[in-house]
Amino acid sequence: MAKNNSPQASSSSKRGPFLAVLLVIVLFGAGTILFKKNSSTDSHGDHSALEDLKGQYENAGPAQPYTLGDSTAPVLIEEFADYQCPSCAQYAIITEPDVRKRIIEPGLAYYKFYEFPLPMHKHAPAASLAAACANDQNKFWDMQYQIFYGQDQWGIGPNGREVVSNPKPVFKTFAQAVGLDIAAWESCYDSGKYNDRVAANAAEAVRRNVQSTPTFFINGKMHMGALTYDAMKKLVDEAAKNATSSADSGR
Amino acid sequence: MKRMLVSAIALVGLFVAFYLTLYKMGYIVQLTCSIDGCERVNSSKWATFLGLPVAVWGMGFYLVTFVIAYMGTLRRWARDSRISTVLLLLTGFGVLYSAWLTYLELYVIHAICQYCVVSAILVTVMFVISLLDWRDSRKWNSHQEI
Repeated sequence: MAKNNSPQASSSSKRGPFLAVLLVIVLFGAGTILFKKNSSTDSHGDHSALEDLKGQYENAGPAQPYTLGDSTAPVLIEEFADYQCPSCAQYAIITEPDVRKRIIEPGLAYYKFYEFPLPMHKHAPAASLAAACANDQNKFWDMQYQIFYGQDQWGIGPNGREVVSNPKPVFKTFAQAVGLDIAAWESCYDSGKYNDRVAANAAEAVRRNVQSTPTFFINGKMHMGALTYDAMKKLVDEAAKNATSSADSGR
Repeated sequence: MKRMLVSAIALVGLFVAFYLTLYKMGYIVQLTCSIDGCERVNSSKWATFLGLPVAVWGMGFYLVTFVIAYMGTLRRWARDSRISTVLLLLTGFGVLYSAWLTYLELYVIHAICQYCVVSAILVTVMFVISLLDWRDSRKWNSHQEI
Protein backbone atom coordinates (compact mmCIF):
# COMPACT_ATOMS: atom_id res chain seq x y z
CA MET A 1 0.00 0.00 0.00
CA ALA A 2 1.50 3.31 -1.06
CA LYS A 3 1.88 5.84 1.70
CA ASN A 4 0.00 8.56 -0.07
CA ASN A 5 -3.11 6.40 -0.47
CA SER A 6 -5.80 7.78 1.76
CA PRO A 7 -7.10 5.29 4.32
CA GLN A 8 -10.63 5.93 3.05
CA ALA A 9 -9.76 4.90 -0.48
CA SER A 10 -7.94 1.76 0.57
CA SER A 11 -10.79 0.86 2.95
CA SER A 12 -13.45 1.17 0.26
CA SER A 13 -11.56 -0.93 -2.24
CA LYS A 14 -11.14 -3.72 0.29
CA ARG A 15 -14.61 -3.53 1.77
CA GLY A 16 -16.08 -6.36 -0.34
CA PRO A 17 -13.37 -8.94 0.44
CA PHE A 18 -13.35 -7.79 4.09
CA LEU A 19 -17.07 -8.39 4.52
CA ALA A 20 -16.69 -11.73 2.74
CA VAL A 21 -13.96 -12.73 5.22
CA LEU A 22 -16.19 -11.74 8.16
CA LEU A 23 -19.01 -13.81 6.69
CA VAL A 24 -16.73 -16.83 6.29
CA ILE A 25 -15.63 -16.48 9.92
CA VAL A 26 -19.24 -16.31 11.11
CA LEU A 27 -20.29 -19.35 9.06
CA PHE A 28 -17.25 -21.37 10.04
CA GLY A 29 -17.54 -20.45 13.73
CA ALA A 30 -21.26 -21.17 13.94
CA GLY A 31 -20.82 -24.43 12.02
CA THR A 32 -18.02 -25.63 14.29
CA ILE A 33 -20.00 -24.85 17.45
CA LEU A 34 -23.11 -26.60 16.09
CA PHE A 35 -21.03 -29.62 15.16
CA LYS A 36 -19.43 -29.77 18.62
CA LYS A 37 -22.81 -29.38 20.25
CA ASN A 38 -24.34 -32.18 18.19
CA SER A 39 -21.43 -34.51 18.80
CA SER A 40 -22.07 -34.18 22.52
CA THR A 41 -25.72 -35.23 22.15
CA ASP A 42 -27.08 -38.74 21.97
CA SER A 43 -28.58 -40.56 18.99
CA HIS A 44 -31.95 -38.89 19.52
CA GLY A 45 -30.18 -35.60 19.03
CA ASP A 46 -32.30 -33.70 21.54
CA HIS A 47 -30.59 -34.55 24.81
CA SER A 48 -27.04 -34.24 25.96
CA ALA A 49 -25.33 -37.51 26.86
CA LEU A 50 -25.63 -36.63 30.53
CA GLU A 51 -29.34 -35.79 30.26
CA ASP A 52 -29.89 -39.15 28.62
CA LEU A 53 -28.15 -40.91 31.50
CA LYS A 54 -30.26 -38.97 33.98
CA GLY A 55 -33.35 -40.49 32.38
CA GLN A 56 -31.81 -43.94 32.37
CA TYR A 57 -31.00 -43.86 36.09
CA GLU A 58 -34.13 -42.07 37.23
CA ASN A 59 -35.43 -45.03 39.24
CA ALA A 60 -32.11 -46.24 40.65
CA GLY A 61 -32.05 -46.69 44.40
CA PRO A 62 -29.62 -45.13 46.88
CA ALA A 63 -25.92 -45.50 46.06
CA GLN A 64 -24.02 -48.34 47.74
CA PRO A 65 -20.33 -47.51 47.37
CA TYR A 66 -17.49 -49.84 48.40
CA THR A 67 -15.65 -48.53 51.42
CA LEU A 68 -12.20 -48.65 52.89
CA GLY A 69 -10.82 -47.39 56.20
CA ASP A 70 -12.22 -45.76 59.29
CA SER A 71 -15.63 -44.17 58.79
CA THR A 72 -14.90 -41.64 61.57
CA ALA A 73 -11.79 -40.27 59.80
CA PRO A 74 -11.89 -36.47 59.38
CA VAL A 75 -11.73 -36.60 55.58
CA LEU A 76 -13.93 -38.46 53.12
CA ILE A 77 -12.48 -39.32 49.72
CA GLU A 78 -15.01 -40.47 47.14
CA GLU A 79 -13.90 -41.83 43.80
CA PHE A 80 -16.06 -42.22 40.70
CA ALA A 81 -14.35 -44.48 38.18
CA ASP A 82 -14.99 -46.45 35.02
CA TYR A 83 -13.24 -49.83 34.84
CA GLN A 84 -12.58 -49.47 31.12
CA CYS A 85 -11.09 -46.00 31.42
CA PRO A 86 -7.30 -45.91 31.01
CA SER A 87 -6.78 -42.96 33.34
CA CYS A 88 -8.81 -44.72 36.05
CA ALA A 89 -6.58 -47.76 35.65
CA GLN A 90 -3.53 -45.53 35.86
CA TYR A 91 -4.79 -44.09 39.15
CA ALA A 92 -5.75 -47.54 40.50
CA ILE A 93 -2.40 -49.10 39.67
CA ILE A 94 0.03 -46.29 40.38
CA THR A 95 -1.55 -44.04 42.97
CA GLU A 96 -4.22 -45.93 44.87
CA PRO A 97 -1.86 -48.35 46.66
CA ASP A 98 0.03 -45.37 48.08
CA VAL A 99 -3.18 -43.58 49.03
CA ARG A 100 -4.35 -46.70 50.82
CA LYS A 101 -1.11 -47.26 52.70
CA ARG A 102 -0.25 -43.68 53.59
CA ILE A 103 -3.63 -41.96 53.89
CA ILE A 104 -6.36 -44.51 54.57
CA GLU A 105 -4.56 -47.04 56.77
CA PRO A 106 -3.19 -44.35 59.16
CA GLY A 107 -6.78 -43.13 59.56
CA LEU A 108 -6.43 -39.79 57.77
CA ALA A 109 -9.34 -40.47 55.43
CA TYR A 110 -12.26 -42.76 54.73
CA TYR A 111 -12.60 -44.00 51.15
CA LYS A 112 -15.69 -44.65 49.07
CA PHE A 113 -15.55 -46.08 45.57
CA TYR A 114 -18.43 -45.73 43.10
CA GLU A 115 -18.41 -47.30 39.67
CA PHE A 116 -19.53 -45.09 36.79
CA PRO A 117 -19.58 -47.11 33.56
CA LEU A 118 -19.50 -44.52 30.77
CA PRO A 119 -21.84 -45.14 27.82
CA MET A 120 -19.02 -45.46 25.29
CA HIS A 121 -17.36 -48.31 27.20
CA LYS A 122 -19.04 -51.56 26.19
CA HIS A 123 -17.55 -53.81 28.84
CA ALA A 124 -17.53 -51.35 31.76
CA PRO A 125 -20.89 -52.56 33.20
CA ALA A 126 -19.70 -56.21 33.07
CA ALA A 127 -16.44 -55.26 34.77
CA SER A 128 -18.40 -53.41 37.47
CA LEU A 129 -20.51 -56.53 38.02
CA ALA A 130 -17.43 -58.78 38.15
CA ALA A 131 -15.96 -56.62 40.93
CA ALA A 132 -19.27 -56.28 42.79
CA CYS A 133 -19.58 -60.08 42.87
CA ALA A 134 -16.14 -60.34 44.46
CA ASN A 135 -17.45 -58.15 47.28
CA ASP A 136 -19.69 -61.07 48.33
CA GLN A 137 -16.49 -62.88 49.24
CA ASN A 138 -14.85 -59.80 50.79
CA LYS A 139 -12.38 -59.55 47.92
CA PHE A 140 -13.72 -56.46 46.22
CA TRP A 141 -10.52 -54.43 46.40
CA ASP A 142 -8.33 -57.30 45.16
CA MET A 143 -10.66 -57.92 42.23
CA GLN A 144 -10.97 -54.22 41.49
CA TYR A 145 -7.17 -53.97 41.28
CA GLN A 146 -6.96 -57.06 39.05
CA ILE A 147 -9.58 -55.73 36.65
CA PHE A 148 -7.77 -52.41 36.33
CA TYR A 149 -4.34 -54.02 36.17
CA GLY A 150 -5.44 -56.39 33.42
CA GLN A 151 -7.43 -53.75 31.52
CA ASP A 152 -5.44 -54.41 28.33
CA GLN A 153 -6.74 -58.01 28.30
CA TRP A 154 -10.41 -57.04 28.02
CA GLY A 155 -10.62 -53.27 27.47
CA ILE A 156 -9.94 -51.16 24.41
CA GLY A 157 -7.01 -52.22 22.24
CA PRO A 158 -4.77 -50.10 20.03
CA ASN A 159 -7.37 -50.12 17.24
CA GLY A 160 -9.88 -48.35 19.48
CA ARG A 161 -12.09 -51.42 19.91
CA GLU A 162 -12.56 -53.89 22.75
CA VAL A 163 -9.97 -56.66 22.47
CA VAL A 164 -12.52 -59.36 23.36
CA SER A 165 -16.20 -59.60 22.49
CA ASN A 166 -17.09 -61.34 25.76
CA PRO A 167 -14.96 -60.31 28.74
CA LYS A 168 -16.28 -62.98 31.13
CA PRO A 169 -13.50 -65.57 30.55
CA VAL A 170 -10.91 -62.85 31.28
CA PHE A 171 -12.71 -61.77 34.46
CA LYS A 172 -12.90 -65.42 35.46
CA THR A 173 -9.11 -65.73 35.31
CA PHE A 174 -8.90 -62.62 37.52
CA ALA A 175 -11.36 -64.21 39.97
CA GLN A 176 -9.14 -67.26 40.10
CA ALA A 177 -6.03 -65.14 40.58
CA VAL A 178 -7.47 -63.40 43.65
CA GLY A 179 -8.65 -66.72 45.08
CA LEU A 180 -12.41 -66.41 44.78
CA ASP A 181 -14.82 -69.32 45.02
CA ILE A 182 -15.36 -69.50 41.27
CA ALA A 183 -18.75 -71.24 41.31
CA ALA A 184 -20.22 -68.63 43.65
CA TRP A 185 -18.65 -65.75 41.74
CA GLU A 186 -19.88 -67.14 38.41
CA SER A 187 -23.45 -67.61 39.57
CA CYS A 188 -23.47 -64.04 40.91
CA TYR A 189 -22.03 -62.73 37.64
CA ASP A 190 -24.37 -64.73 35.40
CA SER A 191 -27.47 -63.72 37.34
CA GLY A 192 -26.52 -60.05 37.23
CA LYS A 193 -27.10 -59.95 40.98
CA TYR A 194 -25.53 -56.54 41.45
CA ASN A 195 -26.66 -54.78 38.29
CA ASP A 196 -28.92 -52.59 40.43
CA ARG A 197 -26.07 -51.67 42.73
CA VAL A 198 -23.93 -50.68 39.73
CA ALA A 199 -26.81 -48.62 38.35
CA ALA A 200 -27.38 -46.96 41.72
CA ASN A 201 -23.72 -45.97 42.01
CA ALA A 202 -23.70 -44.68 38.44
CA ALA A 203 -26.88 -42.74 39.22
CA GLU A 204 -25.04 -41.06 42.08
CA ALA A 205 -22.34 -39.98 39.61
CA VAL A 206 -24.97 -38.48 37.34
CA ARG A 207 -26.66 -36.73 40.26
CA ARG A 208 -23.35 -35.14 41.19
CA ASN A 209 -22.70 -34.06 37.62
CA VAL A 210 -19.62 -36.20 37.16
CA GLN A 211 -18.58 -35.73 33.54
CA SER A 212 -15.28 -37.50 33.36
CA THR A 213 -13.59 -40.35 35.15
CA PRO A 214 -11.90 -40.58 37.50
CA THR A 215 -13.52 -37.80 39.49
CA PHE A 216 -12.84 -37.40 43.18
CA PHE A 217 -14.79 -35.63 45.89
CA ILE A 218 -12.69 -34.74 48.90
CA ASN A 219 -15.00 -33.72 51.73
CA GLY A 220 -17.54 -32.95 49.04
CA LYS A 221 -15.27 -30.84 46.82
CA MET A 222 -14.95 -32.05 43.24
CA HIS A 223 -11.55 -32.75 41.65
CA MET A 224 -11.41 -34.12 38.15
CA GLY A 225 -8.74 -36.38 36.70
CA ALA A 226 -6.32 -38.97 38.00
CA LEU A 227 -4.69 -37.23 40.95
CA THR A 228 -1.11 -38.03 41.85
CA TYR A 229 -0.34 -39.16 45.39
CA ASP A 230 1.19 -35.79 46.27
CA ALA A 231 -1.83 -33.90 44.94
CA MET A 232 -4.18 -36.19 46.85
CA LYS A 233 -2.21 -35.84 50.08
CA LYS A 234 -2.19 -32.06 49.79
CA LEU A 235 -5.96 -31.97 49.24
CA VAL A 236 -6.58 -34.37 52.13
CA ASP A 237 -4.38 -32.28 54.45
CA GLU A 238 -6.21 -29.11 53.44
CA ALA A 239 -9.60 -30.77 53.94
CA ALA A 240 -8.53 -32.06 57.37
CA LYS A 241 -7.33 -28.58 58.35
CA ASN A 242 -10.61 -27.02 57.24
CA ALA A 243 -12.62 -29.69 59.06
CA THR A 244 -10.67 -29.04 62.29
CA SER A 245 -10.93 -25.26 62.05
CA SER A 246 -14.68 -25.35 61.35
CA ALA A 247 -15.16 -27.77 64.27
CA ASP A 248 -13.18 -25.39 66.52
CA SER A 249 -15.17 -22.35 65.46
CA GLY A 250 -18.37 -24.31 66.09
CA ARG A 251 -17.51 -24.77 69.75
CA MET B 1 -6.59 -2.51 6.52
CA LYS B 2 -5.12 -2.93 9.99
CA ARG B 3 -8.47 -2.32 11.64
CA MET B 4 -10.05 -4.82 9.25
CA LEU B 5 -7.55 -7.39 10.46
CA VAL B 6 -8.25 -6.54 14.09
CA SER B 7 -12.01 -6.82 13.62
CA ALA B 8 -11.70 -10.14 11.76
CA ILE B 9 -9.45 -11.57 14.50
CA ALA B 10 -11.83 -10.27 17.19
CA LEU B 11 -14.67 -12.10 15.44
CA VAL B 12 -12.69 -15.35 15.53
CA GLY B 13 -11.99 -14.73 19.22
CA LEU B 14 -15.68 -14.10 19.83
CA PHE B 15 -16.47 -17.61 18.61
CA VAL B 16 -13.70 -19.17 20.68
CA ALA B 17 -15.04 -17.42 23.79
CA PHE B 18 -18.61 -18.34 22.85
CA TYR B 19 -17.64 -22.01 22.59
CA LEU B 20 -15.93 -21.90 25.99
CA THR B 21 -18.97 -20.19 27.49
CA LEU B 22 -21.28 -22.94 26.22
CA TYR B 23 -18.84 -25.49 27.61
CA LYS B 24 -18.63 -23.79 30.98
CA MET B 25 -22.40 -23.42 31.23
CA GLY B 26 -22.91 -27.09 30.45
CA TYR B 27 -24.53 -26.81 27.01
CA ILE B 28 -21.68 -28.81 25.55
CA VAL B 29 -21.11 -31.84 27.74
CA GLN B 30 -18.72 -34.57 26.85
CA LEU B 31 -18.54 -37.62 29.05
CA THR B 32 -14.91 -38.62 28.92
CA CYS B 33 -12.56 -40.87 30.76
CA SER B 34 -9.35 -38.97 30.27
CA ILE B 35 -9.44 -35.44 31.42
CA ASP B 36 -8.15 -32.85 29.04
CA GLY B 37 -6.58 -29.61 30.11
CA CYS B 38 -9.64 -27.54 29.27
CA GLU B 39 -11.84 -29.35 31.75
CA ARG B 40 -9.31 -28.82 34.48
CA VAL B 41 -8.70 -25.16 33.58
CA ASN B 42 -12.36 -24.38 33.03
CA SER B 43 -13.42 -25.97 36.29
CA SER B 44 -10.73 -24.24 38.34
CA LYS B 45 -11.58 -21.33 40.59
CA TRP B 46 -9.79 -18.93 38.24
CA ALA B 47 -12.30 -19.68 35.46
CA THR B 48 -14.74 -17.33 37.20
CA PHE B 49 -14.18 -13.60 37.67
CA LEU B 50 -16.58 -11.36 39.62
CA GLY B 51 -19.23 -14.05 39.52
CA LEU B 52 -19.13 -14.57 35.77
CA PRO B 53 -17.18 -17.18 33.81
CA VAL B 54 -13.97 -15.74 32.34
CA ALA B 55 -15.24 -16.98 28.97
CA VAL B 56 -18.20 -14.59 29.24
CA TRP B 57 -15.84 -11.69 29.97
CA GLY B 58 -13.84 -12.87 26.96
CA MET B 59 -16.96 -12.72 24.79
CA GLY B 60 -17.63 -9.19 25.97
CA PHE B 61 -14.03 -8.19 25.29
CA TYR B 62 -14.02 -9.62 21.77
CA LEU B 63 -17.42 -8.15 20.99
CA VAL B 64 -16.41 -4.64 22.08
CA THR B 65 -13.09 -4.93 20.23
CA PHE B 66 -14.87 -6.18 17.11
CA VAL B 67 -17.44 -3.37 17.15
CA ILE B 68 -14.84 -0.64 17.70
CA ALA B 69 -12.42 -2.03 15.10
CA TYR B 70 -15.31 -2.46 12.64
CA MET B 71 -16.44 1.12 13.24
CA GLY B 72 -12.86 2.17 12.55
CA THR B 73 -13.10 0.63 9.09
CA LEU B 74 -16.11 2.79 8.19
CA ARG B 75 -15.42 5.87 6.09
CA ARG B 76 -16.73 8.13 8.83
CA TRP B 77 -14.17 7.04 11.42
CA ALA B 78 -11.39 5.84 9.13
CA ARG B 79 -9.09 8.66 10.21
CA ASP B 80 -10.28 8.92 13.77
CA SER B 81 -7.24 8.47 15.94
CA ARG B 82 -9.40 7.95 19.04
CA ILE B 83 -10.37 4.55 17.62
CA SER B 84 -6.68 3.63 17.39
CA THR B 85 -6.07 4.71 20.98
CA VAL B 86 -9.07 2.79 22.33
CA LEU B 87 -8.06 -0.33 20.38
CA LEU B 88 -4.51 -0.08 21.68
CA LEU B 89 -5.70 0.26 25.28
CA LEU B 90 -8.27 -2.53 24.94
CA THR B 91 -5.91 -5.05 23.33
CA GLY B 92 -3.09 -4.02 25.67
CA PHE B 93 -5.33 -4.85 28.61
CA GLY B 94 -6.27 -8.11 26.85
CA VAL B 95 -2.61 -9.07 26.47
CA LEU B 96 -1.91 -8.42 30.16
CA TYR B 97 -4.97 -10.37 31.27
CA SER B 98 -4.15 -13.28 28.93
CA ALA B 99 -0.60 -13.31 30.24
CA TRP B 100 -1.94 -13.60 33.80
CA LEU B 101 -4.27 -16.47 32.77
CA THR B 102 -1.47 -18.26 30.92
CA TYR B 103 0.76 -17.88 33.99
CA LEU B 104 -2.02 -19.49 36.11
CA GLU B 105 -2.39 -22.34 33.63
CA LEU B 106 1.32 -23.08 33.51
CA TYR B 107 2.38 -22.57 37.10
CA VAL B 108 -0.71 -22.86 39.29
CA ILE B 109 -3.30 -25.10 37.60
CA HIS B 110 -0.62 -27.11 35.74
CA ALA B 111 -2.89 -27.68 32.76
CA ILE B 112 -3.19 -25.99 29.41
CA CYS B 113 -6.45 -25.36 27.63
CA GLN B 114 -5.82 -25.12 23.91
CA TYR B 115 -8.70 -22.67 23.41
CA CYS B 116 -7.18 -20.35 25.97
CA VAL B 117 -3.84 -20.54 24.15
CA VAL B 118 -5.61 -19.70 20.88
CA SER B 119 -7.27 -16.75 22.60
CA ALA B 120 -3.97 -15.50 24.02
CA ILE B 121 -2.37 -15.67 20.57
CA LEU B 122 -5.31 -13.84 18.97
CA VAL B 123 -5.14 -11.08 21.58
CA THR B 124 -1.40 -10.69 21.12
CA VAL B 125 -1.71 -10.43 17.33
CA MET B 126 -4.53 -7.89 17.72
CA PHE B 127 -2.35 -5.89 20.09
CA VAL B 128 0.58 -5.81 17.66
CA ILE B 129 -1.66 -4.71 14.78
CA SER B 130 -3.35 -2.13 17.01
CA LEU B 131 0.07 -0.78 17.95
CA LEU B 132 0.94 -0.35 14.26
CA ASP B 133 -2.45 1.28 13.64
CA TRP B 134 -1.88 3.62 16.58
CA ARG B 135 1.55 4.55 15.18
CA ASP B 136 -0.10 5.35 11.83
CA SER B 137 -2.75 7.44 13.58
CA ARG B 138 -0.07 9.60 15.13
CA LYS B 139 1.23 10.30 11.63
CA TRP B 140 -2.24 11.42 10.50
CA ASN B 141 -2.42 13.74 13.47
CA SER B 142 0.97 15.29 12.68
CA HIS B 143 -0.10 15.75 9.03
CA GLN B 144 -3.27 17.44 10.18
CA GLU B 145 -1.31 19.78 12.43
CA ILE B 146 0.82 20.85 9.46
